[in-house]
Amino acid sequence: MWVFVPSLWANELLIDRTVSGIVKDAETGEVLPGVSVIEKGTTKGAHTDGDGRFSLTVSDNATLVVSFLGYKSQEIVVGNRTVINVSLVSDAQELGEVLVVGYGTQTKKEFTGAASRVLQEDLKDIPVQSFDQALIGRASGVNVSLPNGQLNNAPVIRIRGVNSISLSSYPLFVIDGIPVTSGDVSSNATVPNNPLADINPSDIESIDVLKDAASTSIYGSRGANGVILVTTKRGKEGNARVTYDGWYGITNAVRLPKLLDAQQFMDIKNEAQMNRKILSGQADNPNVASALYFPSYNADGSLVNTNWLDYIFQTGQSHNHAVSISGGSPKTKYFFSANLSEQSGILQKNEFDRAGVRFNIDHEATNWLKLTGGLNYSKSENRSPNSGSRDGNAQLIVGAARMAWTLNPNVPARNADGTPHLNNNINGTIGNGNNDVVSVYYNPLTLFELAKYTSANDRVLANVGATITFIKGLTFDTKYSVDRMRTEDISSASALPGSSAAASGGSVTNITRLNNNWNFANTLNYDVRFDEHHISALAGMDVQEFNVNRWGANVQQAADPYFTDFQGSWGQISSSGNILSKASIISYLTRVGYDYDSKYFITVNFRRDGNSALGFDTKWGNFGGVSAGWLLSDESFYKESGLSSVLNNVKLRGSWGRVGNGNLDPYASLALYSSNLYGSAATWAISQAGNPALGWETGDQINIGADMGLFHDRLQVDFSWYKNNVDGLILQVPQAPSKGIPGNSIYQNVGSLYNKGVELGLSGDIMRKSKFTWTSSLNFTYNKNEVISLAGEGDRIVSNSSGNPFNMTEAGYSVGTLYGAVTNGINPENGRRIFINAAGEQIQYSAAVASGESQWQYLDGSPAAAITAADYEPLGNALPKWYGGFQNTFRYANFDLGINFSFSGGNKILNGNTGTWLDQRYFNNSVKVLDRWQNPGDVTDVPRLVYNDNFASGNIPNISAYIEKADFLRLQNVLLGYKVPSRLFGTSGISNIRVYAQATNVFLITGYTGLDPESSINGNRNTSPGVEYNSIGNGRTITFGVNVAF
Amino acid sequence: MNMIYKSVKMFGGVVGLSLMLSLHSCDEAEYLDQVPPTQLSASDIFSTPDRIEGLANGMYAAIKDANFYGGRLLMFMDVRGEDFINTTSNSFTGFDAWNHSYNSGSSDIINVWSNGYTAINRANILIQGLADNPDVVTAEVAAGYVGEAKFIRALSYYTLVTLFARPYAESNGSASGVPLRLLAETDTENNDLAPSTVAQVYQQILQDLNDAEAELPSSRSNALLNTTRAHKNTAIALKTRVYLSQGDWPAVVAEASKICSGDTEFASPTGVLHALQEDIVGLFATNYTTTESIFSMPFTNLNMLSGQSALGYLYNGNEEYFLNPAQIVGNAQWGPDDARWGLLRNAGGRNYLAKFGQGAPYLRYMPVIRYAEILLNYAEAAAETGDLALAKALLEAVHHRSDPVYEFPASATATSAALIESIETERRIELLGEGFRSWDITRRVRPFPEKIGPSFSTNAVAPSASNYIWPMSNNELLTNSLIGN
Repeated sequence: MWVFVPSLWANELLIDRTVSGIVKDAETGEVLPGVSVIEKGTTKGAHTDGDGRFSLTVSDNATLVVSFLGYKSQEIVVGNRTVINVSLVSDAQELGEVLVVGYGTQTKKEFTGAASRVLQEDLKDIPVQSFDQALIGRASGVNVSLPNGQLNNAPVIRIRGVNSISLSSYPLFVIDGIPVTSGDVSSNATVPNNPLADINPSDIESIDVLKDAASTSIYGSRGANGVILVTTKRGKEGNARVTYDGWYGITNAVRLPKLLDAQQFMDIKNEAQMNRKILSGQADNPNVASALYFPSYNADGSLVNTNWLDYIFQTGQSHNHAVSISGGSPKTKYFFSANLSEQSGILQKNEFDRAGVRFNIDHEATNWLKLTGGLNYSKSENRSPNSGSRDGNAQLIVGAARMAWTLNPNVPARNADGTPHLNNNINGTIGNGNNDVVSVYYNPLTLFELAKYTSANDRVLANVGATITFIKGLTFDTKYSVDRMRTEDISSASALPGSSAAASGGSVTNITRLNNNWNFANTLNYDVRFDEHHISALAGMDVQEFNVNRWGANVQQAADPYFTDFQGSWGQISSSGNILSKASIISYLTRVGYDYDSKYFITVNFRRDGNSALGFDTKWGNFGGVSAGWLLSDESFYKESGLSSVLNNVKLRGSWGRVGNGNLDPYASLALYSSNLYGSAATWAISQAGNPALGWETGDQINIGADMGLFHDRLQVDFSWYKNNVDGLILQVPQAPSKGIPGNSIYQNVGSLYNKGVELGLSGDIMRKSKFTWTSSLNFTYNKNEVISLAGEGDRIVSNSSGNPFNMTEAGYSVGTLYGAVTNGINPENGRRIFINAAGEQIQYSAAVASGESQWQYLDGSPAAAITAADYEPLGNALPKWYGGFQNTFRYANFDLGINFSFSGGNKILNGNTGTWLDQRYFNNSVKVLDRWQNPGDVTDVPRLVYNDNFASGNIPNISAYIEKADFLRLQNVLLGYKVPSRLFGTSGISNIRVYAQATNVFLITGYTGLDPESSINGNRNTSPGVEYNSIGNGRTITFGVNVAF
Repeated sequence: MNMIYKSVKMFGGVVGLSLMLSLHSCDEAEYLDQVPPTQLSASDIFSTPDRIEGLANGMYAAIKDANFYGGRLLMFMDVRGEDFINTTSNSFTGFDAWNHSYNSGSSDIINVWSNGYTAINRANILIQGLADNPDVVTAEVAAGYVGEAKFIRALSYYTLVTLFARPYAESNGSASGVPLRLLAETDTENNDLAPSTVAQVYQQILQDLNDAEAELPSSRSNALLNTTRAHKNTAIALKTRVYLSQGDWPAVVAEASKICSGDTEFASPTGVLHALQEDIVGLFATNYTTTESIFSMPFTNLNMLSGQSALGYLYNGNEEYFLNPAQIVGNAQWGPDDARWGLLRNAGGRNYLAKFGQGAPYLRYMPVIRYAEILLNYAEAAAETGDLALAKALLEAVHHRSDPVYEFPASATATSAALIESIETERRIELLGEGFRSWDITRRVRPFPEKIGPSFSTNAVAPSASNYIWPMSNNELLTNSLIGN
């Protein structure tokens, strides 16, 4: 583009004049203070005052440049006017035109891969601990779900499906160019710690999600699961601008089960005991108890009827504050922010805090040297009792959800004197009331008070970089960044009765972990245009090192129960949680892009990675991709066709690429021996059976898509079809336990899988009137996942949840297909559950039988072999086949209303809770148990109750009867905002105030009878999805907030 | 900007770039060849005598697992029998053992099966590694390690075959047993292996124990090592147990007589001089390494078990089981003056097993082989082979240590059958809580009696019932296609 330059002779004739005017927001009509107004080509300038007014003396024929953070700059030729009023348009749309890609940016026009973009307005007001939790339903191809309602869980994120079996399927997070630690860094099985919560959501300018291999292969072996690029806010030229964002909110548990009350509970359990007695052939034996559960009474004579849910759940309260100051001169720009968040969840004593500051600076030292820097410090802490909702915790007696479901309602929480009702035993477990059964559970009154778990981070994310411009278009970028995070995990259980460690005289474990990762990236960039040609090229190298240094100790035997800290006086100490490891990735990368006439685009990229975790001869891998695009709508023949008046913009794009997955344990390929103790003697023993041939897991991905604009871009459509083939799947292949290999598994490259699907994004203005606008966007993804092959034909990899084989992976099925025994209802004749064995025969089971009778029988009563895993069958796909989001924003005058839905389905979930809710041990039950079989001829799905039956109805819940559809529609978010008219601010200096109320997880429409169809008791584990079992669901949060700008 | 300056800038930039963009291959290796600082690779593990000693200790550490001889295995065995009543019905603390209600997916089943083979593989790795690295220790020392490995392997196979396979005595071992793994397994080969017969497994156990007897040292340098590491008499002692399970009475006599000599008081004449100790309570409470403790699992503050892994917690701390008043505690052979009452704790009218302590830390050594057992093994075999006098003397040696004034009624020792019954009763008193009751029932192919408690009851289990033995681990069923069902 050629810019008009005033000629010298004209300069001699210049006459100065004064122009003045008011600058307003084009959309809202509000005045904008602090806007920079500069005469182009000079240093003459002014800023608008509190009323948006400016006044400036300019030369004749001057051009004004009006610019303001967050708005598109405008150039205005003054001509002979003296009053110029300016309406600035928000640049949100403009930001959408530029995409952040690996090691750089590209315009949306040039970009030929597949990416989605989420802007800060969509995120900043949502009450979450970490920004990734706010991505639910926001971007096509990106499936985000919260595994449970404990604070600061890492959400389950899958970009275009599950792309691995053993390795992480979590995307790579890159914040301002730094690949950062994500996932869960807590060593403590009780408290989650998602390190992305160390990033203040208000600091985020935009999030770009790279989905196809042509976009992610520049990240080589780290790109297999997609890459999420986070860009934080930076200063913009102009006066200092100050913002404050704050909210206060409350959270409640929803969809809790309806449990038996005390009388129902006693009736049900005693019926079960009587059935056991009868079925055992002991009906006439007076020594065998006929009833076990008996009422307790309050002082006023009323029946004790305790609702334990009230002792486990709570209404959580939270508040969050963020302040920022940004601005800059033409050469130096800065952004500073500080934030504080204090949140509490639906589980009692579950609290999360964060405080942090960020400073970003950009400086042009000379016309060839530009320096950038960023520094983010944050501290965060999550405190929680054991929720029972995390990997491996489903059957812990201290798990809060299981306690809530199982504690007996006919047992009081407190004794008559107000003290907690406890057993007089070594642990001080919960008292029995008048029941004849000893509970091994704890009283939440004491447990939550005496057993505490925390995980806290101190984290510095810092980067320093420079850009050197050698000649126009040729630049060299260098960036060194550090992600240094100190995590401290503390588990403290008091020596007092009622704590989970009373028998050990108290127990405290402190574990500290230093994640010290650095990244040094250097790239050379060349960008040139001549005639209709545009070439951009990038070459560079990148070295990353990941150091983990974790150590800790456990102390027991408190000298006095007063001590609940590691630093107290203890009788016993042993090491705990030690890890020392180092891993590196070295990469050489290049990308070349070419476009002709801004109509034909092609990009090629290549990356060679060396990964220290792989086998000696297989450390290096080559990755890369090629993508191409065609801007059909810019062709003259298209423009002349009738179609162009409707479909005004069409870009076709396609890509192929290869990525790798190298997210391995740092020493995964090595055969290792570890040392320990036998008494006081040192031991060595095999700890890992290695595989020196362990190689790359690679994915070949194809993406074909189109970006379209209809009705003058009023409706925008983007569509992609993709297929990802993953080969060389790394699998911890289960070994026969009789081989005695550690963990009974060995890492191997065996198998392949694919994900294929379509993504559709629609967005547009449904209505745009002067006062009322309605914009809407819908994203929809269909994904099919199937394992093509595994170690050997017919091989079935079974995955355990808390020791139970709930999922399996096998060729022809999706990863982590639900797995278990097939049942065929309840025999109406005798109330026994009917199982189908491997031979297809019907086998009925009774937990109690007379001596000599078989528990397992054919329907004619003859003895049958027990149902084992050898009889288990696949019970349903656990991965969502379709999912997406539907966002609507309405604006009327000063009001804005956002209504956002998320939906997902096509998958099954194992409602393991049903097993707990029907368990016939000392567990309380849900009201479903009232439907039990009682008399011959009863047709029901609840078997005859037999005390201590934890098989037909209970502890082993992976039966087909407990598999349910997981389809749902969730009103994820509703937000109503009001912008306070600026005339009310007077001379206060305030430029903008917006207040809002919002609610998340407002309602759920689903046929699922458990707590939440998105639950995952195994967090992000690929091979064990779709299981809900004794976990707490997600809460409903309502917040009230304010955004203020000065 | 002048030309010289521009050229210098370009030159410097290009040089800087080329340095930054390339790493020498040795630098690459520095980044990419990482070894863990806290573990050793397989190529270094047999490189020093100390490491081999560590590998030997590592085998013992495997059998000391919480679900094996660290304790819980003993509890599973005892509570299957009739002498205990369960109070909690908690499947994590052995309820399914007590209730005979295990299934293939039960964690106890999966853990015990896996622990046994973990110990076996550690033994196989040591045997293989000593053969592959012959010059690190002397041949004599190496032979001693191989003897220990074979002892560990034999003990583990004996444990597995008696739990997961039909009793030897039922059909002279012709039933299907367990897979015999005799190779060091460190890679992906050999998943599928069919079970050998019970007889073949016993044959291997005895061959290993005979080899061990030949290869092991006759004693070690101190009492701790004599108790916690195998020596010749340890192998001989275990053989008496194995032959007893086979009902091979003469063989029991032959082996037991090697380490039991005397008329009224018995002691081992060679090797470690095993003998009963005067104070049976002290044997468990304080004196863990006397000559009576032939083989025990040591505990220290840095290497102990706690909570639901510790028998002291389970039996006596959390009171998960109490002594069935209708069974051994009510037996007349357990007289009121018997010192062994000191190993129980009476509270609220119930007797709890106090042999393994009550509160943390749980540092009492866990007995695996005790001299009293050998005397009773010997006594039973002597009674079976008609040497009633010797049988009676051995029985009295054990009983009179704790109750010197007790006189067995004549009827209790008059016949072989009566003596055998008295010896069995003595085993229930003397070895209570040490993991013998299930074996003593199944090796005689007798039913498990019913148990009736105030809250929970369980029916008798006949030898013909499928739950008479433990079911096969689901994990083995899923990975070893030859294991059968």
